[in-house]
Amino acid sequence: MTGEMYIAEATDERIRERGEHGGVVTALLKFALESGMVDAVLAVKKRNGNRYDGVPSLITEPEEVLECAGVLHCAPVNVARCVKEYLDGAKGVRLAVVCKPCDARAMIELAKREQINLANVIMIGVNCTGTLAPSVARKMLVEEFGVDPEDVVREDIDDGKLIITLGDGSTREKDLKELEERGYGRRENCRRCEVSVPRMADLACGKWGVPEGRRATFVEVCSERGGELLKKAAEAGVIRVEAPSKEAIDERERKEREALERSKEWQERYFGELKEMSSEERRRYWFDYFDRCIKCFGCRDACPICYCKECYLEAWRGFIRGGEVPPERAFPLIRLAHVADSCVNCGQCQDACPAEIPLSRLYQAVNKELQRVFKYVPGMSVEERPPLTVITEEELRNDDPLLFLR
Amino acid sequence: MGEGFEPKIIAFTCNWCAYAGADLAGVSRLKYPPNVRIIRVMCTGRIDPTFVLKAFTSGADGVLIGGCHIGDCHYIQGNALARRRATMLKKLLEHVGIEPERLRLEWISASEGGKFVETVKDFVERIRELGPNPLKGSG
Repeated sequence: MTGEMYIAEATDERIRERGEHGGVVTALLKFALESGMVDAVLAVKKRNGNRYDGVPSLITEPEEVLECAGVLHCAPVNVARCVKEYLDGAKGVRLAVVCKPCDARAMIELAKREQINLANVIMIGVNCTGTLAPSVARKMLVEEFGVDPEDVVREDIDDGKLIITLGDGSTREKDLKELEERGYGRRENCRRCEVSVPRMADLACGKWGVPEGRRATFVEVCSERGGELLKKAAEAGVIRVEAPSKEAIDERERKEREALERSKEWQERYFGELKEMSSEERRRYWFDYFDRCIKCFGCRDACPICYCKECYLEAWRGFIRGGEVPPERAFPLIRLAHVADSCVNCGQCQDACPAEIPLSRLYQAVNKELQRVFKYVPGMSVEERPPLTVITEEELRNDDPLLFLR
Repeated sequence: MGEGFEPKIIAFTCNWCAYAGADLAGVSRLKYPPNVRIIRVMCTGRIDPTFVLKAFTSGADGVLIGGCHIGDCHYIQGNALARRRATMLKKLLEHVGIEPERLRLEWISASEGGKFVETVKDFVERIRELGPNPLKGSG
């Protein structure tokens, strides 16, 4: 069943209208709730109708699911932390959760640390090529698009373009790269993100591969459980499914590949610059940033991977002498040492930072390096243990202290 | 580097091997530079990455981690875990522009008093060349 692909759409007219691309995600969530497959749905909802402010919401009323239909590109939240923190890691409740790739990956990392019980979670993955910071998006809409942010009813990122739809149905589009050159566009971690299709979730849903002009969802089944939900929903007549054409599959692959290429370009730009610096320059670069840290713990509290009940950093909270700058200079470094091997590049730390330290840039750079060294990509499979907790047989036969650095 | 610079080195040594090795160096009256301050831990696997970073921000110019040879760990594989963590730390230090050589991992058995001495001598010289730790006084 895993690996099967479909083009699907909701049968309910209302859901199809409100959904982004045929309403399949909404229909599946509603069905999962109605059929009793799950006790609740976790999805992001606009706060008081504001599409620049998304709140993860726990939904138990099937009708309420419709309020979460559609995509909020400008409300980048990570739901993994909510599941762990406020829903007791789904230990006592069966959930259907809508996941961007970074949400799904963070949940998998937390599951490895026994913080989330994935047996109780159906992850409905949605393709993602990036999100925008709300403040940046609003400014961009005014300055670049010349529209009132409140007028926007929809955003879309496709083929390197940002397309917005206004209340009157008209659309405007701009080249994403050009916007980003000017400091607008997607969050920087999203620009560098390599994972646009969440195959680590139970289902991967998106618009890529859907024939032009048609509002439907391309669904890839990524697990037995995902397949079961899709099958039951189709049998119940909540969604219609059909097999995609060869061209549709190729088209989807092409779009995925192009998104990956674009992310590699951004990686090269961000990391290449750092690599070319001398170690002295690099030190100055990062410590100038670190010196801005006011030790607010925002990054730690936002990080979906951080989970220790007693935090090492906490021990150094306290009073300092007058005239001294509060932070331990190594504050961001210590956090980095604890999560670097498992960072999923969700960018929450950077969003939370009031001092605007480009934390995700550092974290992803180190993580990419560790991926290479330990051959481990975070958040891909719950079977793989985090690289700092496992030892291979081969390693135990090699006495070289610099084994991984040769 | 600076005139009269004496490197300060923190050595985390495991109870069963490297610490005993240092002890052997002592009882054998082997001479080694006094730049090293030894902190005994039960196993190198006990060394949280934070310990190393804290040592650096508290003014250490170099950090030495001394553990049992692979296969000799009293707790089976604590040293192998330490090796992974040290690898991670070296990469991390490199990324923020601190010489990864300031962190050194060595396997020193209880019978290798001589190796302990040689390691410390060599490390002190290496750190002397690198100069003071730029993070000094920041923690």
